[in-house]
Amino acid sequence: MQHDEGATERRLLIQLARLGDLVQSLPAFSSLTSRDPQGPLDLLCPAPLADIARLFPDVGRVVQWNGAQWHRWAESFDGEFQSSWLREIDQYLAELTSEPYTMAYVLNHHPRAILAATLLATEVQGPNLRGPLHEALSPWASYLRQVAQERGPNRIHLSDTFCGLCGVTPPQAPPLLLLPSIDLPGDLAEVGLSAGQWIAVVVGAGDADRSIPVSVWIEWISTLLALDSPSAVVLIGSERDQATALAIQDGLSPMIAGRLWDATGRTTLLQLATILKRCHWAVGADTGPLHLAASVGTSAMGVYFSRARVHETGPYGQGHWVWQSDRALPETWPIQASVKMIQEPATASQQKPVAGWSLWQSHHDEWGAIFRPVGDKDPQEDQRAEVWHRLTEQSLSLQGVR
Amino acid sequence: MNSFEINISRLAQRDQALAADIRQSGGGALEIVPARTGMSSARANGRWIHSAYDPIKEAQAWAEGQTHQEGETIVVFGVGLLYHVEALCARLPRTVPVVLVVPDLNVLADAATVRTWGDWIDRVSWAWGTTEAIGERIASAGHPLRLVTYAPAASLHADSHRAIETVLQRKAVAQAGGQLRIAVVGPIYGGSLPITRYVVSALESLGHDVRWLDHSVHATSYQQLELLKNSQHRLALQSKYAEMLSRVTMAQLAEDPPDLVLSLAQAPLILPALEHLRRKKFLTAMWFVENHRHLTYWQQLAAGYDFWFVIQQEPCIAALKRAGAKDVRYLPMAADPSLHRPLELTKEEWEEYGSDVSFVGAGYANRREIFPRLVGQDWTFKLWGNEWDGATGLASVLQRNGARVDTDTCRKIFTASSVNLNLHSWAGAGFDPDGDFVNPRTFELAACGAFQLADRRSLMPELFAENEIANVSSPDALPAEIARWLHEPEQRVAMAAQARRRVLAEHTYQHRMRELLSRIGVASPDRIGPILRGDRQAETLAVAAADSFPSVASALRTFPSTQRVELKQLAAQIRSRGSMGTLSREDLMLLMLDEYRSETKDLV
Repeated sequence: MQHDEGATERRLLIQLARLGDLVQSLPAFSSLTSRDPQGPLDLLCPAPLADIARLFPDVGRVVQWNGAQWHRWAESFDGEFQSSWLREIDQYLAELTSEPYTMAYVLNHHPRAILAATLLATEVQGPNLRGPLHEALSPWASYLRQVAQERGPNRIHLSDTFCGLCGVTPPQAPPLLLLPSIDLPGDLAEVGLSAGQWIAVVVGAGDADRSIPVSVWIEWISTLLALDSPSAVVLIGSERDQATALAIQDGLSPMIAGRLWDATGRTTLLQLATILKRCHWAVGADTGPLHLAASVGTSAMGVYFSRARVHETGPYGQGHWVWQSDRALPETWPIQASVKMIQEPATASQQKPVAGWSLWQSHHDEWGAIFRPVGDKDPQEDQRAEVWHRLTEQSLSLQGVR
Repeated sequence: MNSFEINISRLAQRDQALAADIRQSGGGALEIVPARTGMSSARANGRWIHSAYDPIKEAQAWAEGQTHQEGETIVVFGVGLLYHVEALCARLPRTVPVVLVVPDLNVLADAATVRTWGDWIDRVSWAWGTTEAIGERIASAGHPLRLVTYAPAASLHADSHRAIETVLQRKAVAQAGGQLRIAVVGPIYGGSLPITRYVVSALESLGHDVRWLDHSVHATSYQQLELLKNSQHRLALQSKYAEMLSRVTMAQLAEDPPDLVLSLAQAPLILPALEHLRRKKFLTAMWFVENHRHLTYWQQLAAGYDFWFVIQQEPCIAALKRAGAKDVRYLPMAADPSLHRPLELTKEEWEEYGSDVSFVGAGYANRREIFPRLVGQDWTFKLWGNEWDGATGLASVLQRNGARVDTDTCRKIFTASSVNLNLHSWAGAGFDPDGDFVNPRTFELAACGAFQLADRRSLMPELFAENEIANVSSPDALPAEIARWLHEPEQRVAMAAQARRRVLAEHTYQHRMRELLSRIGVASPDRIGPILRGDRQAETLAVAAADSFPSVASALRTFPSTQRVELKQLAAQIRSRGSMGTLSREDLMLLMLDEYRSETKDLV
């Protein structure tokens, strides 16, 4: 293919994982566009998430990765090799980009993302140092692997490690998605319009062992709506969460029915983002919708247990909260305390300890997001500056830059 | 000129002989009846061949349901008034060859009478004449073939169609050279266990890559459950055990996905597992080497397997289809000539195993009732095998106190007996009045070169002639038949030799497995068929890739030319070049596809 020497560098950010990961890529995207405001930055993401990718400020072209099509090819080919279908794939890739990108930034340590980058760009920056078949990891990918394996004292947020992978520092301020005005269907059009606190309750989670039990949600919502101050609840989730939402509603008093909306399985991603934006709070264990809420400027309160960890995947930005369980399957839940934080935000920083849980609040500084404990000092020293210096040094050394 | 003349004149331009024969046929096979839309519809034997309301709409719906892949020839079974053929031609690209099988020219003459055909008729090739001629015409149309059936019309000539398919399968067998990866799922224990062994051996000798998922290693544990006295507990635990083994099978299949999963009767694969396999695009087949009247669990599994092979014909085949089986074929038992062969016996062995008359087998009710009348005759009678407890009238002839007899001993007994009785098992008295299938012992005795006297079975004549195996029609006639054959030593030897020749020529497990695979190959033109034809071999693929993707062709040429190569092997070859190797665009595409492939086949 011919290259126009005078043309601007074409860059591509690749994020092929799920909703939460895409939203957590926003800081890296923002830093990359700030570093080179003239050069367009395109974004490759799974086709079903393209609407959210288009909300990234200053995004060039959103390139849709059709995973379902690849699955169909793999299934229809049934393991056999035929050169005819290579032609089909070649054509598909040519439709994604007629010319190779100058640079692809890869945020997933997954062969598909790395292969996609190598197919679509002449140069690749990401987890692998030397191509898709080489196991040597970049300094930031090694750090991420170490955190995943050992947990340890890490205080660098996943979004900020994405920045590190791309060779940029975290943005000065947490970026937000640019959400246009979106109509909501049917009764959901009323969400956020009347006075009082609107709370989005994220009822499900990706895996069953990460879901808050229905009985806990019933008690939580009953406690919230029993208070005198006006509040309303919107149940958030996908189609597979509808049964959970119905079970929650069955367990609630009929007296509060007029203050509860069920949006599970009824919204597109843009409509979901709109609902979250119209709410004052988003509460739940599913990190994807929590990240989306945070990225449209809504306060998020995470209830983290099982594999979820506040320091790596807490809601990005200022003033979000995370209740972190000290065990994988909590025996008690911070129901009263969390409801009180919503009703009386000013008292949040004076929260009394809840057995089995610690409460963390998000902050933002030059090293990106940091969660600090409420009412106590973080037992771990903040080593972010040291880690950034060390990994940046290593990265530059590998590039031969001093 | 009427429609008939216009159509036949048009046909004559491409096939004068066909046109002439249609003119002579006269028609009259179909009853032409107007449909509600005003178009002609048709009936035969009181059944509608096309819709009584709207035959065109019905034909279009049928055509929409047919699948086709590039490079295939479509072979249509079922003539009728050709509405469905016209609809199919309209749906398929013009380059796709369409062959219509015409077993009865009278039907085509009727079709020519009712309406004038359009240009689509020029796309159709006609396969007509004798069964062999039809097979030749289809084969000459090009490969691979996809057989499609318009059932209402095809049912008029079901026997002809079966015969034509058999011819096509024979041709496929003759061409077969490719290597399939086959997982054979055997039972935990029982009569189908040795058959599984023979099947595995036969498939291997045909050059396929066979993996036996052998569940006989679990037999001891499973049989412990038989000792439970509480039947409710026993049944529940046996069911759970079978379910667990089904999961084990799935895990084994997931580790190395085969082209075909072939189960033998009693294989521990439950319906949900089979349904999961189908969703994951695995092809499955079952050879049900059991009497369908006695063991009825096939009713729960019928819909689960893609292909059923059974040792009985009607009503077994119809019953399986009613229960949800899509493809059911008759596949009789066989022998393994590497095991079942003539023996030279020592003098001691002749003394131990020799007798005028013998029987080897378990003590089923009918045998217990019949055999006492063979005791005390003026010939020696030896009874071998187990499960004869309580048969006091047979105590004097029962050998080894009714111990189980292994295959090697069986062969010695077969060789050392003048007349080997082969009485099929039955739970009633006398001979099974519905006796149809032919048991494995029939083929094994014949393969050993031993003379046998068998009870009459309805499916015996098409497998063995009367000058190969002697039959007896009733228990009362048995003593006289034995006496007669004992006085015919030369004829016995001649018949045994003929029977052995017949087995070697037609009835080995190799024959059966060739037939089974060719059936599956013909029915799966886009999956098993190409592998059997060798289309997936390295050199064939390299030639196809050479023009557009030379680097892929180079990679393919690193394999032995006849080795079957798939995406998995090709991706492994690319990875084996090491991390510092240069990757072409094609290499990257292949690696990406392989990533998705590995997830697609993930069963567990």
